Amino acid sequence: MPDFSLTEEQSSLREMARKFARTEMAPKAAECDRTPRFPEEVYRKAWELGLMNLNVPAEYGGSGLSALDQCLIVEELAYGCAGMTTSIIANCLALEPILLGGTEEQKRRFLPPFCAEYHLASFCLTEPAGGSDAGAISTRAKRHGDGYRLTGEKCFITNAPHASLYTVFATVDPELRHKGISAFVVPRSAPGVTPGKDEEKMGHRASSTSTVRFEEVEVPPSDRLGAEGDGFPIAMRTLDQTRTPIGALATGIAQAALDHAAAYSLKRHTFGKPISEHQAIQVKLADMATRVQASRLLTWSAAARIDRGEPGTLDSSIAKTFASDAAFAVADDAIQIHGGYGYMKEYPVEKLLRDAKLTQIYEGSNEIQRIVIARELLKRYA
Amino acid sequence: MRIVVFVKPVPEAETRLRPSADGARLDTDGVKWVLSGYDESAIEQALLLKEANAGSEVRAVTYGPSPRSEEVLRACLALGCTSAGWVEAPADLPPDVRLKVRALRQAAVRWPADLYLLGQQSLDTESGLLPLALAMALGVPGANGALDLAFDAARNELSFERSSEAGVEEWRLPSPSVIGLKQAKNDPRSAKLQNILKSRKMPIDRIPAVELPAAPEVTGNANRFRFELPPPRTGARLIEYAAPDEAAEKLVRVLREEAKVFP
Ligand SMILES: Cc1cc2nc3c(=O)[nH]c(=O)nc-3n(C[C@H](O)[C@H](O)[C@H](O)COP(=O)(O)OP(=O)(O)OC[C@H]3O[C@@H](n4cnc5c(N)ncnc54)[C@H](O)[C@@H]3O)c2cc1C
Repeated sequence: MPDFSLTEEQSSLREMARKFARTEMAPKAAECDRTPRFPEEVYRKAWELGLMNLNVPAEYGGSGLSALDQCLIVEELAYGCAGMTTSIIANCLALEPILLGGTEEQKRRFLPPFCAEYHLASFCLTEPAGGSDAGAISTRAKRHGDGYRLTGEKCFITNAPHASLYTVFATVDPELRHKGISAFVVPRSAPGVTPGKDEEKMGHRASSTSTVRFEEVEVPPSDRLGAEGDGFPIAMRTLDQTRTPIGALATGIAQAALDHAAAYSLKRHTFGKPISEHQAIQVKLADMATRVQASRLLTWSAAARIDRGEPGTLDSSIAKTFASDAAFAVADDAIQIHGGYGYMKEYPVEKLLRDAKLTQIYEGSNEIQRIVIARELLKRYA
Repeated sequence: MRIVVFVKPVPEAETRLRPSADGARLDTDGVKWVLSGYDESAIEQALLLKEANAGSEVRAVTYGPSPRSEEVLRACLALGCTSAGWVEAPADLPPDVRLKVRALRQAAVRWPADLYLLGQQSLDTESGLLPLALAMALGVPGANGALDLAFDAARNELSFERSSEAGVEEWRLPSPSVIGLKQAKNDPRSAKLQNILKSRKMPIDRIPAVELPAAPEVTGNANRFRFELPPPRTGARLIEYAAPDEAAEKLVRVLREEAKVFP
């Protein structure tokens, strides 16, 4: 990794994801964005090819990829369509708490079904009253017999209307703040679980997002992940793992924007020459390429750190924040280079801006990331 | 059923092609090599036969230089081939079909099969000679342009269709035979991620170039001496217009007066 070159194996994984993105995802991206439509046939095919449960180890039937390999794949997929990618990688997010907090018995029970058949799972942390302050969640886990009853509402949950399993964060006592939170595995079929209607979104419209209501949902103690009160660290460690791939997802959007803009600049003529020969356009393209490259290298280096087993919080926050801000800026420049056509839905670049926006918000907003970065940073000076 | 599929790496469709400095061949620097479309079909066909005939083996074989040969063989293994064979060749192999026949014949002797399958032609040179030339060299029946192969184990017979302007033919050939395939029933499948990872650890059996019989004498006219890219397309013209009927009028005028497609 220090020489930043990929192994043949990594190149072939990347090649495979690239082919899938360009032949299966990209041709449907505009239609799924406009309608909007949740292209289940694309997700099934992604599952069939092993592109879905990337983080599940081979012993449970998954691909068991390193963080870096996951990033290579996610970047390519996002180049095809960021919204579809969000739905494809949502299983990684939802199953990670089981990988991190589950017992061997729980892993054997919950994970193999996802690798043996196409199923979706959702990660349920955010609530209507607030996402950033995860310690303040109010979904209650009331002790009942030796198990629990869950009551409350989650919102903005990716794939929720289509999922068969939820990993849910709930508190035994809101007064305890983050110390009261536990993580539970809840099947969609449990009485009292009701996903809401699909939200109308600005971007990532091929993905599906909704609320989930829990009404006195019975959860046996065998479906709690970790000890009571372990929920908050499980959620934070999960996001430490999944944040880097969001950097890769943003990089894929930015690369697509750069490719569209560069190709357009060679074809579009003003004042008797291609606009690529105007220096103002060249400066934009150069800045865009620089941001794309920096995003990619930051995500690779954060992923490599995680793969070495070192703490990844700081690096993954830096990578996610930089790459998502870069994706937004690069998509913005791509529209500018397209002029009026860039503003039209007929061209692909305005979608990239709408898609890039989400990467600055979800999996920990960039404001929260900057708090994390500063806190980790200042520890080193204290 | 034992199947050997001969495959050839060809430049990926998006590759920018350039002639080499001596003008005789393709400059292979920076070219990405992939299975050709007909070869993908041949692999798909072999895998379909394998699935229909329990206990079958599919070996992918290529004749060519490193590293493109290993790359396409790994791709075949990732798709589901059970083994791979590589007949090594120098990078500057003259494009003489007899050299290829010699090498593939050696592979066919090393790895006997019920069916030797190829794409009907390669996508780069498109000569389409190899299936029948190889059949002659092996002294077995051969056919080219086959569609949708089936194997009848009891009768030890391969059956397929061929279609031409004249109509559809149905063929039966005894096994072993050499068959050039036009198309399988299915579109070629994609490799699964797990199989890509597994294929990286599978062995590739090699036949070193020195084990091949002496090369036939290469005569001048069997050697390609010039390679040129097709000329860039010209002659496209944009018709400028303000309203659609003006465009139609201008187009009709060009078609009538310049292209003379109608009187
Ligand atoms: C399409 C989509 C899919 C999603 N998928 C999921 C999912 O699958 N599972 C899930 O659990 N969640 C999901 N989320 C939720 C997402 O993670 C949250 O939206 C995000 O964490 C922000 O929370 P919030 O929306 O409640 O904003 P708030 O927390 O209300 O924040 C509002 C604004 O204030 C800023 N802010 C908050 N606190 C501070 C502070 N201390 N200092 C400075 N600024 C601050 C925020 O950065 C933001 O700009 C998804 C969201 C979207 C839009």
